[in-house]
Amino acid sequence: MAALSNSNHRLFMAALAMCLPSSSIIVSQESQRPFECDGLAVYQQLPMVTVLPETLFQVQDVLRLCSEHGVPLVPRGAGTSLCAGAMPHAHGVLLVMTKFDQILHIDQDTASARVQPGVRNLALSEAAAPLGLYYAPDPSSQIACTIGGNVAENSGGVHCLKYGLTVNNLLQVTMVTVAGELVTFGGDGLDEPSMDLLSLVAGSEGLLGVVVEIKVKLLPRAPRVQVLMAAFDNVISAGDAVAALIGQGIIPAGLEMMDHLAIKAAEDFVKVGYPTDAQALLICELDGTDAEVEDQLAAVSACFSDHGSYQIRVAKDAQEAAALWQGRKSAFPAVGSISPDYYCMDGTIPRGQVAHVLTRIRELSQHYGLAVANVFHAGDGNLHPLILFDASIEGQLDQAEALGGDILTLCVDVGGTITGEHGVGLEKMPQMPYQFGDAELAQFRRLKAAFDPSDLLNPGKGIPTLKYCQEYRSLQHA
Amino acid sequence: MHDLTPQLVEQVQQARAEQTPLHIVGGNSKSHLGRATQAQPVNVVGHSGIISYNPTELVIRARSGTTIQELQSALAEQQQRLPFEPPHHQGLATIGGTVAANQSGPSRPWFGAVKDSLLGLGLINGYGEAMLFGGQVMKNVAGFDVTRLQTGAMGSLGLITEVSIKVLPQFNANETLVCELNAQAALKQMQAWGNLSMPLSGMCYWQNKLYVRLQGSVAGVEETCKVFSKALPLVVLEADLAQEFWQKVTERELLVAQEKQIMWRWSGPSNAPASALDNTEFINWAGSERWALTTASDATVVNPHVTQYRGGDRSLDVNPSINAHDQALQQRIKHAFDPDGLFNVGRLYSWL
Repeated sequence: MAALSNSNHRLFMAALAMCLPSSSIIVSQESQRPFECDGLAVYQQLPMVTVLPETLFQVQDVLRLCSEHGVPLVPRGAGTSLCAGAMPHAHGVLLVMTKFDQILHIDQDTASARVQPGVRNLALSEAAAPLGLYYAPDPSSQIACTIGGNVAENSGGVHCLKYGLTVNNLLQVTMVTVAGELVTFGGDGLDEPSMDLLSLVAGSEGLLGVVVEIKVKLLPRAPRVQVLMAAFDNVISAGDAVAALIGQGIIPAGLEMMDHLAIKAAEDFVKVGYPTDAQALLICELDGTDAEVEDQLAAVSACFSDHGSYQIRVAKDAQEAAALWQGRKSAFPAVGSISPDYYCMDGTIPRGQVAHVLTRIRELSQHYGLAVANVFHAGDGNLHPLILFDASIEGQLDQAEALGGDILTLCVDVGGTITGEHGVGLEKMPQMPYQFGDAELAQFRRLKAAFDPSDLLNPGKGIPTLKYCQEYRSLQHA
Repeated sequence: MHDLTPQLVEQVQQARAEQTPLHIVGGNSKSHLGRATQAQPVNVVGHSGIISYNPTELVIRARSGTTIQELQSALAEQQQRLPFEPPHHQGLATIGGTVAANQSGPSRPWFGAVKDSLLGLGLINGYGEAMLFGGQVMKNVAGFDVTRLQTGAMGSLGLITEVSIKVLPQFNANETLVCELNAQAALKQMQAWGNLSMPLSGMCYWQNKLYVRLQGSVAGVEETCKVFSKALPLVVLEADLAQEFWQKVTERELLVAQEKQIMWRWSGPSNAPASALDNTEFINWAGSERWALTTASDATVVNPHVTQYRGGDRSLDVNPSINAHDQALQQRIKHAFDPDGLFNVGRLYSWL
């Protein structure tokens, strides 16, 4: 998409200044610098202009203006996306929604909350806590990430094994279309006599509209929560233990796995008492009534022991449980502390393929000469291999991306997907034609055009064009 | 046990060439739903069979014409179940139709709707292309969620060829508690208990009684029975009577519309008063689903969000009207999948 001509640029900026207070418009390169990337900092781009609207009318006006002038628009929350989904467009507007940070209503009777999109994920659970409620999807970035961003990426987290992703916890979404119109999907009830547009918006990566209000389901805090940690001397046994546990019909609230490199990094980083000699660690959270948890605790411990766990530690109190989780939740920054750079992948595979895929990742790691630490939502089969590299060394970023690409195609080959919860964004565009055929991709494009006929919303992300796919395939073929 | 995808693709392509609208038919168990339409039938019921089922992965993949009964039998052999508890409709209901009509049973508030268990599906669009979306893994955010978009679309976006579903283990214990209560008192109790972290799987009001179903681990159900019984004089319903009752709820056969009667359905906030829908006879989903019977078609005046579920004039719109922007958007989405207007035209809405 081309830049506006000088005269059109002047017209556009003058019109923008009519829609928004000057304090909501950022034009200088220096002030826009913090917005040039999201959590995947290897992709950077300064936008033409950054705006931080404060009212719904301002959002609608900005969208109308972009439509009128054919200017691309990229919506952004807290910018914690790990797929460059919120990276700005060089000739476009970056629409930052962080000023929409109000929790509008928490309803105890219906266990639900109405929030603006800029509300932080953790802030909602904290606000609901006095009522004994919480918001279940809890990505590792929950301290910073926003509910609006969670909707855009259909974010998961450690508890989505039992309680679902964002899509499973949404009740209603109000969105501004590219034409500046307001549309509402979902409702006050549990279903609508309609195609499920609410679910379509979840994970649509800002390609279909700008979400301005969200109603989510809240869950009651379980009377008892129990966290335990199990250490294994090899990754394969830990993987088998996970498959066996789920196969037995036990669905924990969370079931996470870390490999040796990740365990060591996390322990050095937060010192929570992880056994650093372990080759694999499982962290399992059980919740429910006292009797339910007691039953499950015995079954889980037995299952882990049967599969070769040499050390099982049951947290004695909430403090110890929090510490066990802290290690896992700090795994990304911990790995960041042992390597100049790391690149986080997000494939999902059938649980039964965990051992095979981990073995293959080790081979790929050796082939490329780059270390890989594995942290993952084992219960869901959602892997987060962290590729360690040094961007200051010529060619290492390319190598890391190539290794990452190989891991994602491996996930597709075993019946999985290139992204479980981080989204496609700009980053995984090359793998989209590997996972989908031309007919599916063309259908995605037509669906996008039904919402955004001129391709102004977050263009170049999420869904590749057919031309892009043809070029990709001919490149692969060559 | 046949894969008829090539034949179904051919039928769609032929219909496209001849510009003949199609009426998608599975077990024909849901002909009472949506608007009455006239079009050439395309029969999916022969396109059946389980494609793969791996109990340890908790995933089953089946062709769209596979009956709910067949799926549940296969799952029962492995002590597993469909989390959304769909109706069988005398053994005729198929998984494709269940997804299209978005039919979830009494456990909906606690175990989710059809969409919550749906992992992937196959779809033939109006270009006659067979496509696959989603997959068999638990988390998947690559591309738009075309899979879940189909739930409730009543086949208006294409012909579903296969479905992949997340399944769950069966419960170890099952108990139904009953207590005499009027509608308003029952609603109040459902609100008090419905959002607790307890092994609940059903809560409804029917003929001056509150019904509470508990399913889960033996210890969890026993414990909850004790807690609830302290608050209300609850009686345990005999197992066979309980099974019969919940089966009727699941099959939507508890409330029976007599000739010339209209059955209305409304899903709204669980804390809406008993008077929210006139002539309410049955309250399900801990208050979130209300059912009414009338002779005249005047319930829409009382509540604009109500659906004319069964009976009455079905040449008119049976679903609540929506605003112009949403309507135009849905028409553009329909066009994106079905540019020639081949699939189930007018079934969901007169304008779609």
